[in-house]
Amino acid sequence: MDNGTSNSASENETITLKSCDGIEFHIDARIANRYTLLNNWNGGESACIPNVNGKVLEKVLEWCEHHINDPQLNCGDDDSRRRNTIIEEWDENFLSCDQDMLFEIILAANYLEIKPLLDLGCKTVANMMKSKSPEEIRSAFNIDNDYTPEEEEQFRKENEWAEDY
Amino acid sequence: MPSKIFKGDMPELLEHILNHLNNEIDSLYSCALVSQHWCKISIPILWQNPFSVDKSPLFISQYFSSLDENEKLVESEATLHKFYINFVDHEIDPEIFYSLRRNEQFFSRLQDLSLGEISQYNIEGVTALLDILAKYTTTICSLKFEVICYHDKPELLHAFIHVIKSQKQLKQFGLFGGPTTTLETHDIISALKSQKLSLQELTFESCIFAAELETLIDCENLEILRIRCCDYANILVANLNTLEIRCLSIDTSNMVQSLQMSGSLLQQLSFELMDGEVWKELLILETLKSFCPNITYLELRIDGLSTQLLELIGNLQNLQFLTLVVYNIPEADPEIRVMHFAKILPSTLQYLDLGHFWLNTYIETLLNNCNAPLKNLRKS
Repeated sequence: MDNGTSNSASENETITLKSCDGIEFHIDARIANRYTLLNNWNGGESACIPNVNGKVLEKVLEWCEHHINDPQLNCGDDDSRRRNTIIEEWDENFLSCDQDMLFEIILAANYLEIKPLLDLGCKTVANMMKSKSPEEIRSAFNIDNDYTPEEEEQFRKENEWAEDY
Repeated sequence: MPSKIFKGDMPELLEHILNHLNNEIDSLYSCALVSQHWCKISIPILWQNPFSVDKSPLFISQYFSSLDENEKLVESEATLHKFYINFVDHEIDPEIFYSLRRNEQFFSRLQDLSLGEISQYNIEGVTALLDILAKYTTTICSLKFEVICYHDKPELLHAFIHVIKSQKQLKQFGLFGGPTTTLETHDIISALKSQKLSLQELTFESCIFAAELETLIDCENLEILRIRCCDYANILVANLNTLEIRCLSIDTSNMVQSLQMSGSLLQQLSFELMDGEVWKELLILETLKSFCPNITYLELRIDGLSTQLLELIGNLQNLQFLTLVVYNIPEADPEIRVMHFAKILPSTLQYLDLGHFWLNTYIETLLNNCNAPLKNLRKS
């Protein structure tokens, strides 16, 4: 289990990461130490992170830097099932970007296995869906309705218990 | 253009998002109506925990009846991954549970099951449900039985045991009694032996043990053990990284042995003993100091601000979280004792919770002498 004390790198050490469009970032080595995949791309001149462009990587690294001292304790107990959608103020401001950037951050966090950021991004999107009708969700995320009216009616019938909730 | 997150290319991400709505039935209902793809992802979440808010028995009946008839559920090949159900104190027609046999696929990939508050009115129905689960589900990783009284209901206990033994890889198990219900554990622990290669986490609350817990030493992958609100526990388990003991009394020599065996692996400890025998606490503190230097999370509710306690805390160079409730005020020079306590707090400590500790009256002394980079200080 990660105990949050494995940051063996010192404060002054830096490593270099390169985005897929060739932009270099010099970051505190302790950030890379926390997230194994970032560490894997440290070094070599040609080593760059595929799938993540400079604009998105900059945002991801900004978030990592802000949270560098967060404890990584897995207090466990039963909390994993009690997910909620509460987001701290700094994180909320951080993700108040345009929708495309938000989705890119989620994809990058997923790709780079930065779980707390992935979780935060997903919570933010979930909050955008709360208490909305199907039409409002489709419109907010530009999704086509592929139900036939009959299928939709059948679904409503079969899930009547949830409609009454 | 919609993001690829929503189009079906990355179903795991949409599932991750919708999981955050697991207590928002109305929002999940809307999501299921967005598109066919969203429906497939939403349905297992929508159906997994509809009883988080008190509902009438009619609602429960409607839920299970719908499950039996739901074509979309079958068409979408949706399967339930998590299932949490608390039976309120109402009678539910057992026929509803028997009808579930016609939808066996729905439970076939169940990973997380929690059953709670089974009243005498629902024994037959719950036993039927457990029989179905034992027959069609072998994939449960996490299993919890809460506030359930089975001591005079052998058929219910037998059904629990059957479910435990039917699983291929049970990793987490919890058995929770209630304020007025203590649970015998002998048969349950015997059944858990069938899972000894996979079990990683065990929680017992308001339970009665004799010597059973000693047998858990066979669970070689057990990392987390929690025993709460029990009269007596004699643990003998190695290689724990998380241990929580809140009991009236313990077998001290077994506990010492477990701490010695867990040694530097132990990272989280919560400890409270209520039998008033101070020597036991001091022995535990001495053992922790000598054998468990890597604790990052420590929660102690103990008798006094002893020298052993101060030496232990000063010795924990990775400690990040400390919750400390000390019941008795030192007779001599309490303020000097507090000063000493503040000075030995490790430089890694970020969260300090003093509960309703008398030390709160010396909070200024504590803060003036503390070098730990505290991010959060709680007191009441």
